[in-house]
Amino acid sequence: MNPSPRSEAVTRRQFFRNGARLAAVTGLGTLAGVLTGHSQAKTTVWQIDPAKCLRCDRCATHCVLEQSAVKCVHAHALCGYCQLCTGYFNPEPNDLTTAAENQLCPTAAIQRTFVEDPYYEYNIDEKLCIGCAKCVEGCNRFGNGSLFLQVRHDRCVNCNECSIAIGCPGDAFRRVPVDQPYLLKTTHAH
Amino acid sequence: MNPTLYPRPLSRREFAGQVARGALLAGAALVAGPAALAAQSGQNNPFAYDLSRLSQTDSKLVRYEETGRFRCPHAEPRRVAVGPGDALFVAAGNYVTALGAGGASGLEIALSGPARCVAVAKDGTIYAGLRDHVEVFDAKGQRRAAWETPGGKPWFTGLAVGENDVFAADAGNRVLFRFDRSGKLVRRLGEKNKERGVPGFIVPSPYLDVELGPDGLLHVNNPGRHRVEAYTFDGDFEGGWGKPTAAIDGFCGCCNPIGLAVLPEGRIVTCEKGLPRVKVYGAQGEFDSVVAGTDAFPENAKVGAGETRGDSTLAGLDAAADSQGRIYILDFVTGDIRVMKRKA
Repeated sequence: MNPSPRSEAVTRRQFFRNGARLAAVTGLGTLAGVLTGHSQAKTTVWQIDPAKCLRCDRCATHCVLEQSAVKCVHAHALCGYCQLCTGYFNPEPNDLTTAAENQLCPTAAIQRTFVEDPYYEYNIDEKLCIGCAKCVEGCNRFGNGSLFLQVRHDRCVNCNECSIAIGCPGDAFRRVPVDQPYLLKTTHAH
Repeated sequence: MNPTLYPRPLSRREFAGQVARGALLAGAALVAGPAALAAQSGQNNPFAYDLSRLSQTDSKLVRYEETGRFRCPHAEPRRVAVGPGDALFVAAGNYVTALGAGGASGLEIALSGPARCVAVAKDGTIYAGLRDHVEVFDAKGQRRAAWETPGGKPWFTGLAVGENDVFAADAGNRVLFRFDRSGKLVRRLGEKNKERGVPGFIVPSPYLDVELGPDGLLHVNNPGRHRVEAYTFDGDFEGGWGKPTAAIDGFCGCCNPIGLAVLPEGRIVTCEKGLPRVKVYGAQGEFDSVVAGTDAFPENAKVGAGETRGDSTLAGLDAAADSQGRIYILDFVTGDIRVMKRKA
């Protein structure tokens, strides 16, 4: 009968040598993992897929920044330049004017400018926008969906674990290449 | 020894049963998770876009009751019209279909493309609007003509026919074409003209409709201005009415109404999308009543709100009225045609 390899006794020196090898391999693996992770963090950033966004309030409330890095952006090519913009006006406005009581945005972050009868242009003041998506819901509900949310990378700190992404009910957050950091709408959402 | 610390061993059957239950629960959570989370978020959302009050209709304003309902025979319904003898015609899919009492399909005409609109003359001639041209059929469904495509970017979405004229609403070119019955273009109507005081049509989504009233005027929706406007056959602008609001007496969203019908005595029936609802106004625009409110179209409202995978821009309604004052409502989402009668 052949003797089993297991039956060979391991010397103390072999035991320590094997242990040292294992520790070295484990250490190298860990280092490689950390480096890969860091490298990925540098090459990708967080972004919102507009097609998955459910227009809840979490972008406004879950960001680690005092004022969210998520802002409403406007695809002017899709906009109808409507006189009654449902992203701008309350559902029952007293009048179609810029008076505060007619506006939907809680921070008055949308600027309305007359173009020509009956068209108006709408622009977002990002200093005021808190990313609450109220206007996005109004625009999607009745209009072309030209208002949508995006992570603005001039302020996003690119957390390893984005706290909004963790709480996003639509699973709309994903990492995108740093050289293509935005997921912009080019056609109608619906 | 505490016996609860050492429960009895599971049998194979119990184990399999518990695994199956667990898998079911996990699957259900996976499917319902995002929707449930979103709903939960919506409940506590201080920034919620709340239309719940406007989605409910005051029952005192609803003066019509449903007396019948039947299915459209084809998918993708677009317009409904009433012909001679109060026969109902529906443009759906690549067909125009005549429907008898109770929704039984009668004459069916296959078209060369998707039907966008339909109108039927008193002599039974059927005019079917496709995206870029009009096709003409006799009362037996025999093709008589296919009219030339107008220039620009035509997108026909409404038709009306009089004694000598056919009017085609072109949402793409934002114009109303007046043809004679042979298909010769007589005039373009409704284009912006400051000298004549014509405001011009604003059509953010492809819903421009035209109806011929007993007052001899053309009634056209101008959705971007939230109005119904009246024109003579020669294109004189006679006036318009309507106000932009989600309140029940106005027209909601970016662009409404999307469809019209005219009752025998001249009152106007309007159809809206976004908050799907059908209402009646007097000929001068005074609010009369609700035919069916948003709460009567739950599926349509869901699709319109983008809560489903359906195309929300196609979540609309159309209506037609017969000589008895009955209103037929076509639901683009469910494919139902409802027969509504004014309450006694």
